[in-house]
Amino acid sequence: MNNKEIIGLRRRPQLIAVGICIVSLVSLFLPLASVGGKTVSGIAAASSLGGLHLIAAILVVLTSTMGLFLLAKPSVKGARLWAACGAVETVSVAILLFASKKIFDSSDLLPGSFLVKDFGIGYWLLLITAFVGLYYAMAATKLSVGYIVLALMTVIWLFPILWIVLTSFRGESGYYVGYFIPRTFTLDNYKNLFTEGGPLPFARWWLNTFFVASISCVLNTLIVLITSFVLSRQRFQGRTLLMKAMMVIGMFPGFMSMIAVYNILKGMGMSQSLGALILVNVASSAMGYYICKGFMDTVPKAMDEAARIDGATNFTIFYKVMLPMAKPIVIYQLMGAFMGPWGDYIFPSLLLGDKQSSYTVAIGLKWLTDQQRIETYYTQFAAGAVLVSVPIVILFVMLQRYYVEGMSGAVKG
Amino acid sequence: MGVLTLNKRLSARRTPISIFADGDIFTKLSYLVWGLSNMARGQIVKGAMYLAMEIAYIYYMITRGFSSLANMITLGTHEQGMTFDASQGIYVVQQGDNSMLMLLYGVVTIVITSMAVVVWMTSVYSGEDARQRKLDGRKVYGILDDVTSLFDAHIVRLFLSLPLLGILVFTVTPLIYMILMAFTNYDADHQPPGHLFSWVGLENFRAIMDASGKLGATFLPILGWTLVWAVAACFSCYFGGMFLAILINSKGIQLKKLWRTVFVLAMAVPSFISLLVISTMLGKNGIINVLLQNWGFVTEPLPFLTNATWARGTIIVVNLWAGIPATMLMVSGILMNIPPELYESASIDGANPVQQFVKITFPYMLQVTTPYLITNFIGNINNFGVIYFLTGGGPSTLDYYKGAGKTDLLVTWLYKLTNDSNDYNLAATLGILIFIISAVFSMFTYAQARISENEEALQ
Repeated sequence: MNNKEIIGLRRRPQLIAVGICIVSLVSLFLPLASVGGKTVSGIAAASSLGGLHLIAAILVVLTSTMGLFLLAKPSVKGARLWAACGAVETVSVAILLFASKKIFDSSDLLPGSFLVKDFGIGYWLLLITAFVGLYYAMAATKLSVGYIVLALMTVIWLFPILWIVLTSFRGESGYYVGYFIPRTFTLDNYKNLFTEGGPLPFARWWLNTFFVASISCVLNTLIVLITSFVLSRQRFQGRTLLMKAMMVIGMFPGFMSMIAVYNILKGMGMSQSLGALILVNVASSAMGYYICKGFMDTVPKAMDEAARIDGATNFTIFYKVMLPMAKPIVIYQLMGAFMGPWGDYIFPSLLLGDKQSSYTVAIGLKWLTDQQRIETYYTQFAAGAVLVSVPIVILFVMLQRYYVEGMSGAVKG
Repeated sequence: MGVLTLNKRLSARRTPISIFADGDIFTKLSYLVWGLSNMARGQIVKGAMYLAMEIAYIYYMITRGFSSLANMITLGTHEQGMTFDASQGIYVVQQGDNSMLMLLYGVVTIVITSMAVVVWMTSVYSGEDARQRKLDGRKVYGILDDVTSLFDAHIVRLFLSLPLLGILVFTVTPLIYMILMAFTNYDADHQPPGHLFSWVGLENFRAIMDASGKLGATFLPILGWTLVWAVAACFSCYFGGMFLAILINSKGIQLKKLWRTVFVLAMAVPSFISLLVISTMLGKNGIINVLLQNWGFVTEPLPFLTNATWARGTIIVVNLWAGIPATMLMVSGILMNIPPELYESASIDGANPVQQFVKITFPYMLQVTTPYLITNFIGNINNFGVIYFLTGGGPSTLDYYKGAGKTDLLVTWLYKLTNDSNDYNLAATLGILIFIISAVFSMFTYAQARISENEEALQ
């Protein structure tokens, strides 16, 4: 890797980048697209269409000139500007990929309807040289090329989120719309969810979910903590047997016994109630002791012994010594135990059946995307989805440190 | 403390038989009358509690238990039907036996009986403990001492009883019930209360494994797809996440926190929401197809979720959306643990980033994350949500047994068997098979992790 540098610029990538810039200049004169036997070159499209085509062409010329200029008079600042210009060029060329159909179809430059496959060698060369040129220009200025990948990935990852947020503010109702950005914006979708006597008891669903999730979360965490404490700190007959048994039981798919649980609850006269949901969420929570116990195993036993010499009972040790030490794992557990019931769908839907007033948000929202309802309620569904996600996302982003700690604890196992 | 541990060691060596042999008349009788030995040493309340439990158990067995066990063996003999009532001169419905309830009550009786055995044995040991104490002239604990000891020496009982009771009632009992169901013919044609079902032995397993039958022709392709899916999902997210983590953590990237948050956002959204949203986006009239047509990429909507091959690909790709950030988060911490000197010396030796990944990062990661990888693999075998919310198992096909679709995993098929077609016996059989598959793969993890050895070393 011979990276000769001249005043902070890597020479080799710089030369390659300039070479590629020249290729992109040439590609402006190659056929950009052809429909029905008629062919347009990049430069012709830019001059007759103006708009995006013109901007892209200007940027290509600008980037190439700057590249050549920098060869003669290298400077770091200039190179940074050059890379930035290349980035804008790349973006504009990439947008052409998506916008060309609209631009060509609304002009009379090309006969007939344009499709992406009608792009000619000129365009593809332009697109490739834009990306590769940017890569080398960034390498020359010692900017991380990782930004290109991260930027692309960010667009893909944020796309669904952006879509649902925009839809939730969309004035035009309906599932099928032919465009991404709403024509009109409104808050009605949110208002409708909360209108008293409105079509959807969303506020009710949200409160139900919050109620179930918060109670389950507290009880679940408590049970996991006491189970883990005993399994980590006490040595009793049948301890390893118990842990092995829980592991084996845990390997059966949960769905298998769902019907039986439902029958048992029905036998107890508890079907269709939120209490039953909490009971089921909490009842088997000890099975998830594994990560928490793993954490408690790493808390030094010397602390217990010191407390014991001071006359502490096991209960005091749990309460005064272990709990404060286990704070990260407590938060991890609380988070997990809250998010689980918050997004749980299958068992609640089985248990609650058609009793809409007891629905949790997961059932409610799934119900809204049903074939018959999706057309009417899609924008409300979007608003609901946003309202359900926001608390969880805030919680998660704030507490992700604990999540990572818990997870890596699990990995070390 | 010293006496206590000594006492524990003693009791560990004692068996119910040796206690019986060594004990006095009260001890011997306490095998029949629970708690008698306790009462004889002055532990009146405790002894009375054991006795009360024995009486309750015997009462239960006489009133319901024995008949439940007997019914469980036959699973009912009287089918519901019409009988001629001569006094009224008409046919009347005669209530038949309900096989399902009989099986359930039978299982409940078995669980109660095993709990009774545990209480019985506890009473024996407790009585023996009291006898030894009296013999040695030590203090025999009263009920108040017993209660206080729950917070110290016997904290196991205080802390574990409730969690274990929960597991027993809501996990173990239903599980036994369903496992037994795999050996019956409780399918759509044998629905109680109208019809009886009965024990059929291993018939269901044979039917599911038999490749020439319709069931086998469903099971084997679904199993194949389940494994393909699990491998693809597991490794694509693993490598994708690792790539992303390395990218964000690499030297030249500024604003690491911001980039990480972008992706964390994607995994923080409850998965049912993101999957529902994405599935509506991928529909025939969904935004993706609309945009692809507007942009001129295609002229017809793409069958993302309606064509078997497309749907399988789509599912794997969509799974990356939440899976890559999840792995990224997990991997980030581990990446930072790799000693930076390794990279420094590697780059001095002229290793490029790819070589560094292959020779340093990957071997290290693989070693640390193998248990995670296997757990994740098993998790994907049982990944219900992705399939259910994206395709619902569809597109369905006539080649498969009742309503199963081309993207169904074993778990989603199991769900369909219980919820849509009421073939509980097949669902239960499938559950056992999934268990076997998970258990086989888990053994690799646990062989590697060796939990019991590690835990002592950590403390």
